[in-house]
Amino acid sequence: MLRKSSVSVAKNRLKALVTSDRVQCLPDSYDNICRELYETLSKYMGITEDEFHVEIERTHILISFSGEEA
Amino acid sequence: MGEVIVITSGKGGVGKTTTTANIGAGLSQLDKKVVVIDTDLGLRNLDVVMGLENLIVYNLVDVIEGTCRLKQALIRDKRYENLYLLPSAQTKDKSAISPGQMKKLTSELKEEFDYILLDCPAGIEQGFQNAIAGADRSIIVTTPEVSAIRDADRIIGLLEKSGLTQNALIINRIRMDMVRKGDMMSVEDVTEILSIPLIGAIPDDEHVVIGTNQGEPVIGLDSKAGTAYSNICKRIMGIEVPFMNLNSDAGLFAKLSGLFRKE
Repeated sequence: MLRKSSVSVAKNRLKALVTSDRVQCLPDSYDNICRELYETLSKYMGITEDEFHVEIERTHILISFSGEEA
Repeated sequence: MGEVIVITSGKGGVGKTTTTANIGAGLSQLDKKVVVIDTDLGLRNLDVVMGLENLIVYNLVDVIEGTCRLKQALIRDKRYENLYLLPSAQTKDKSAISPGQMKKLTSELKEEFDYILLDCPAGIEQGFQNAIAGADRSIIVTTPEVSAIRDADRIIGLLEKSGLTQNALIINRIRMDMVRKGDMMSVEDVTEILSIPLIGAIPDDEHVVIGTNQGEPVIGLDSKAGTAYSNICKRIMGIEVPFMNLNSDAGLFAKLSGLFRKE
């Protein structure tokens, strides 16, 4: 059984840290933000949770979804 | 007309000063006229890293306060053509100069030099504000560690907010043996998080320590870090240079095991 690489731990911790630094929220708020944004948008749009994605950048919050399939 | 580049990091101890010294030496080797300025008031270091500590008469604060003329404070590095140091003051604190004064000084220096490199103090307080005031572009130095990358992200945010748009990243002290084992973040891991253009990746190299011990830039030595720094200098000048293969030290087995990196 392979030990979980310390890099994947580091990356997950870092992503939570930079997200909370960028928008000054608690490190674990990201998941709540994603869920609530999804809940709001899904009231108006025909989207499903797995095609919905939120990315917090330094100057933008990007909400993306993969869109309707042909 | 010269260009002012601030070298910054947020976190201390990631290699800003060594980077400034080596890029300064490297650009002067490429026939550019360069001045490096230590803006860390109260904690003078750049002179020591460059091996010029015994030649200091005047410093940055003397120039700004008008105690001496700019030319009197510039120390010429005799080993290089056209490389000058403006040292910091060891006895003053950050409040001795203002962002406006730094801006005036750098614009004066732009008339005479091709590149003005500012070695920024750690932190995000006034020393940082002074150092970035006159900058045209920035180089952010980080190491592949959580705390250093986190601080780099904040610094990049502050630089962007202050209107600096040309920001490039140096990832310092990479150990490929650890990256291969999945125990150190790779260049790709770091750039993915920070999402700014990479201008260089520097392997952890004992030559850097040896160079610092002797007060000599590693750029002149036949070493991996020296080559990485000289590639960075070319990229600063707009010359396209392929990124060096940091894996070249590895044996076949290590290269193979790199293919099966743990995720």
